[in-house]
Amino acid sequence: MSPLARARLAAAWVLATPGRLALTIAAGAAIAVVAGLLFAWSGIYNIAASRGHLKVIDLLLRFGMENSVRARAPDETLPQQPDEDLIRLGAGHYHAGCAYCHGTPSSPAPPVAARMLPPPPDLKDKVGVWKDGELFWIVKHGLKYAGMPGFPALERDDEIWAMVSFLRRLPELDRDAYRRLALGEVAPERPSGADIVETGGDQEAIGACARCHGNDTVPASRLVPILHGQPAASLERALRDYAAGLRDSGVMQTAAAGLTESAIRKLASHYAALPRPAIPPEPRDAEAVTRGEALARQGDSSRGVPACLSCHDAEASPSYPRLAGQWSRYLERQLTAWRKGLNDRSPTGRIMAPIGRRLTAGQARDLAAYFASLTPAERGRP
Amino acid sequence: MNALRLFTLGAVVLALAGCQQQSALAPAGEDAARVALLSWILFAGAATIFLIVVLALGLAIAGPERARRLLRAEGSVRFWGIAFPTVTLVALLGYGLWLMRDTIASPSAAEVRIEVTGEQFWWRVAYDGPGGRRIAEANEIRVPVGVEVEFVLRTADVIHSFWVPSLGGKLDMIPGRTNRLRLKAERPGIYRGQCAEYCGTAHAQMSFEVVALPRDAFDAWLAAADTPAAPENEAERRGAALFLASGCGACHAVRGTTAEGAIGPDLSRIGERRFLAAASLPNTAENLSRFITDPAAIKPGSLMPPFAIFSADEQQALAAYLASLK
Repeated sequence: MSPLARARLAAAWVLATPGRLALTIAAGAAIAVVAGLLFAWSGIYNIAASRGHLKVIDLLLRFGMENSVRARAPDETLPQQPDEDLIRLGAGHYHAGCAYCHGTPSSPAPPVAARMLPPPPDLKDKVGVWKDGELFWIVKHGLKYAGMPGFPALERDDEIWAMVSFLRRLPELDRDAYRRLALGEVAPERPSGADIVETGGDQEAIGACARCHGNDTVPASRLVPILHGQPAASLERALRDYAAGLRDSGVMQTAAAGLTESAIRKLASHYAALPRPAIPPEPRDAEAVTRGEALARQGDSSRGVPACLSCHDAEASPSYPRLAGQWSRYLERQLTAWRKGLNDRSPTGRIMAPIGRRLTAGQARDLAAYFASLTPAERGRP
Repeated sequence: MNALRLFTLGAVVLALAGCQQQSALAPAGEDAARVALLSWILFAGAATIFLIVVLALGLAIAGPERARRLLRAEGSVRFWGIAFPTVTLVALLGYGLWLMRDTIASPSAAEVRIEVTGEQFWWRVAYDGPGGRRIAEANEIRVPVGVEVEFVLRTADVIHSFWVPSLGGKLDMIPGRTNRLRLKAERPGIYRGQCAEYCGTAHAQMSFEVVALPRDAFDAWLAAADTPAAPENEAERRGAALFLASGCGACHAVRGTTAEGAIGPDLSRIGERRFLAAASLPNTAENLSRFITDPAAIKPGSLMPPFAIFSADEQQALAAYLASLK
């Protein structure tokens, strides 16, 4: 009997009854599982990252990844007009969170990161491939099998959109433009040979708070809070809570994670003692300020909103932040995060969370306008 | 044996119900007495009818032929099945309406008027103080003995029901409506009340106490509302400062201080209440700290945010200050 005829005969036997068909499929599946286990157990497969993937496997993984991202990404897009505040916030976090693997216009990725499999791409060439929503999805969730991590705070879509804004700007940036965005006022001095020998002479200043928050100047992004003159206790609390993962912020959890207790105390007292630099005046909506003031002073008992100033004026507990003279953009964005149910698990955050959820969008806007219009109380005065 | 046990258990439950402060069977006011009388009449009537039914059943199964014939006669069915229940129920309804006629509607003005507003999950109380001022309190209601008190019942959110079983019947608090209930406490004492309409997660912990005082003691207590307690020692002073600096005053009022919040219960006299958190926790320093640190652990759904920011020392100072408010 010819092989073809035998195969035909076997197929006819299998297809004769549904029971035989099911049995054959089950047997096939069992054989596949056993074969797979044997393959994994034998160690035949070479797991070495140094070997790379077979070309066909590489193509298949890429094809699957691209389709998975496209199927899951949201349709949202960035606003047409580039938002400089968002871009600067994104740049600050890129420098601390992404640059080590993806490199920057001022420093290529180190060889260690470059030998990952797949090697982290130079994003300059890649961001054009994806739509805004797809970039957002990748930054938020990361990519399995590629070593790309998810965002540390999945609740903070606002921070992830800041990253996407920055990524859109990235291809246009040269070395100096990148450093202006990501390092701000921080200009590390050129280290001497001895400096490099002893301390590494880090020119990237990754842990420098002033990159985003300023020191001699106020923050370059109006989405980054002004810390000058805040009570030291509130800054200490914030840093400890970020470091412990009790407060959700991909940006600040990354920045605070490595801080020691003594560094936290020094940092807090440094910013608490800083005189506040002048800030460029913001346009004001007088009516919103008036409405915001009424709410801040009296609260809105019909919605269960207490008076904000009970906790946030100059005489309140130093565990609470002062809001007078803060950026209105930062305040509104932060209140919006609270409104949308930011699940803060820190002791102070658990006080604010239920109150924040009771605010309307209009109230958040009015409050931001009011607090931004205030002059912060000088230190030394009650 | 089983029947005996069941009987004993029932007797114990009834006895306990009788001596508890929250019991419709231990009346301390006219209305509650009427409700109790009506209840006893119902119990006795129901027991009698039950005995008749059991007797008839026994006769129908094992009685002499004459009795069985009598039972299945059409006349018997007409009498016991139609005439007897109709007459009994109509009589009971009429008696009940007549008995309870004074409880709710009364044209004459009551001497003492107390507003009670149900909120998730506590009771906002307001008295007409001397000189027509409103005096805010919460979760504990003081009434003069022997005086008819009109309770003006409202709700701030969902339906609640105001019930002090020892003093009278219950009355719902309905959104958009003002209901009025008159109660009179005949004897000084403390009578427990409870929200009697499911209102949310902490409904079971929405209780209160009615403290019935002799008339002059009540008047003196009301008049004393104007002279709030001032902190006397170092711990109380530190507690007072913490109270204000930590934002407590945004929701809670303490007369005589800048704390004027009206979102949560008034705390001007929290130190003299026997219980905390709408009569769900004994008023001790430890319980105060527990509630402040995590209200939702004690009352799920409580609108108060958890204040887990205080050190043990600060908690003690706060508790000392609150305990001093009398």
